[in-house]
Amino acid sequence: MRILLLEDDKHLGPWVAGGLREEGHVVDHFEDGKDALMAAMGQEFDLLILDRMVPGLDGLSVLKSLRASKNTSPALFLTALGEVDARVEGFDAGGDDYLTKPFAFAELSARVNALGRRRDSSDSAEPASTVLRFADLTLDMLSRSCIRQEQEIDLMAKEFKLLEYFMRRPGRLVTRTMLLEQVWDMSFDPTTSVVETHISRLRSKIDKPFKEALIRTRRGEGYVFGK
Amino acid sequence: MSLANRVTKRLGWLRRSSTLRLSLLLSVIFAVGMAITIFVALEVGEDAIEQSVDETLQALAGATALEDVEGDSPAMILRSLDDLDGLPQPFRRAVDRNGGTVDLDRNFQRSETWRVLVTDDSNGDPILIAVPVEDSDRAQELLAGVLWTTAALVIAVTLAIGFGTGLLAQRRLVRINDTLHRLGTGDLCARTGLKRSKDDLDDIAHELDRTASELERLVAQARHLSGSIAHDLRTPLARLRARLEDLPEGEERGAALEEATRMTGVFDTIMRVARIEAAQGNDGFEPVALGQFVDELAETFGPVVEDAGKTLTLDTDVASTVMADRQMLVQAAANLIQNALVHGGKDIALFAHGSAFGVADNGAGVPSEQYDEVIKPMVRLDAARSSEGTGLGLALVRAVADRHGAKLILAQNDPDQNLKGLRVTLNFA
Repeated sequence: MRILLLEDDKHLGPWVAGGLREEGHVVDHFEDGKDALMAAMGQEFDLLILDRMVPGLDGLSVLKSLRASKNTSPALFLTALGEVDARVEGFDAGGDDYLTKPFAFAELSARVNALGRRRDSSDSAEPASTVLRFADLTLDMLSRSCIRQEQEIDLMAKEFKLLEYFMRRPGRLVTRTMLLEQVWDMSFDPTTSVVETHISRLRSKIDKPFKEALIRTRRGEGYVFGK
Repeated sequence: MSLANRVTKRLGWLRRSSTLRLSLLLSVIFAVGMAITIFVALEVGEDAIEQSVDETLQALAGATALEDVEGDSPAMILRSLDDLDGLPQPFRRAVDRNGGTVDLDRNFQRSETWRVLVTDDSNGDPILIAVPVEDSDRAQELLAGVLWTTAALVIAVTLAIGFGTGLLAQRRLVRINDTLHRLGTGDLCARTGLKRSKDDLDDIAHELDRTASELERLVAQARHLSGSIAHDLRTPLARLRARLEDLPEGEERGAALEEATRMTGVFDTIMRVARIEAAQGNDGFEPVALGQFVDELAETFGPVVEDAGKTLTLDTDVASTVMADRQMLVQAAANLIQNALVHGGKDIALFAHGSAFGVADNGAGVPSEQYDEVIKPMVRLDAARSSEGTGLGLALVRAVADRHGAKLILAQNDPDQNLKGLRVTLNFA
């Protein structure tokens, strides 16, 4: 994807740009709002990543100007303001997603890919598959069944949703924040070990009885499903 | 709305108008005062007239010898006490009580009312002397009429002025009342907008506008401040996180990332309490069915409670639907459950009754005199701050309750069964 990144922080900017390039994206990095606006007016980007508070012109104004000139590139706000008010403002300005600082790179990457997919799927509406398979594990979304090595595994509703989320992102880092938002619809950390508990229960059903574990913990970062 | 309803509503203020009430009260006091005055004046006046008539009669009698008089004239009756023939009965009764006023059913000679005196004539013989007093009565009536009319006019004018000033004040009072109501519901832009300065009501309106401006400025300042703090702290936290992620994988890196996450968590909670407290209006409110809401909570938190070796029970009956910010309610409930996990006993109950929900436990509880204390931010009952958590748990719950205009009730859990634990209820009624 061709990505425009507007981030003035001397350390974060290069870090994000570098990480995204490593994942194979083409990144144009700007530290000034006006420069970013000029660039986005001149050429089309697949995704805009905009910091809210930057010199020149803030990210919100950049996007408002772009939307006013019929630019429809998906936009993701990076915000240090955080929380609902700033998010609502971001969405009102035409933003598609937001990410509050500090964030794990894996989370930014997941959102970048999700926004990229959304853009692709609006072109070619391919239905999401109803049967997910990974190694010897099969998850059938229609019959709501889970089978590993021909053994039927009984999952609770949340465990099912959790496993589906993992299986749609094999090999990728999944953070607690991503799980809380996507599986539990919580835009905050409930301080209680909700994620850990449910994952531990899921593991006891799909991993413990078998030789090879599918869900691995990456300490301080999150979880990875599969290799 | 029917016409009658609209009129009733329009005139509803009349019942509550203090100026109109005051003028009504003054009118009543004035009317009573006038009535007493008129009554006394007429009584005294009548006595005075009677006395002067009696004096005239006395003088007349003293200057007359009965034997020289040739009977009654239309303007005077003069008789010996032995010769009362032809006089109506009331005259005889008047003689018995030594004179007085005689009221007849119909005219005797030319008058219905006579003033009678029993006295001696110039020869010292006892006589009855009487004159008609109709003329003086008419004067009394005239006086009474004038007094009553004046009183009625004054009362009517007082009421009209009361109604008028009430009407004039009403518009401003409604503006002041509306402004206060809007401020109370979080609309800090509300102003009375009254510019003139003629009376105390205008002064109140100005003072209200000034206070509202100050309030708005302070809230805006607090928001700006929390925004600045957020920015100034989140950016370095993001940089720290980025540097940690760049480190080679291993135990140390993981532990450092966990610490960074915890730090962010505490910061987020502080900011969240500040934000909820500064929030206004009811943007983002949606109908939340409390029964279903606690069911979902149990599904999410039940396993957590079980894994901590405790039991979570659900207690719901006819729970209603309330307008609320769902995410905030989940936050409040999560904090209550976390509190119960850390400080409560083995049994934790999630309940929803009517328009209230909450969490109860059977732990050591909190002494009731400390209820007010524990809902303040950063308060922990163990002074050493050794237990887990930020000390913001109940403060956040209180902020959520305030945001919804709900009551936060802390109580002893089931005093009947002698369970000491804490029962925290958010009541939306």
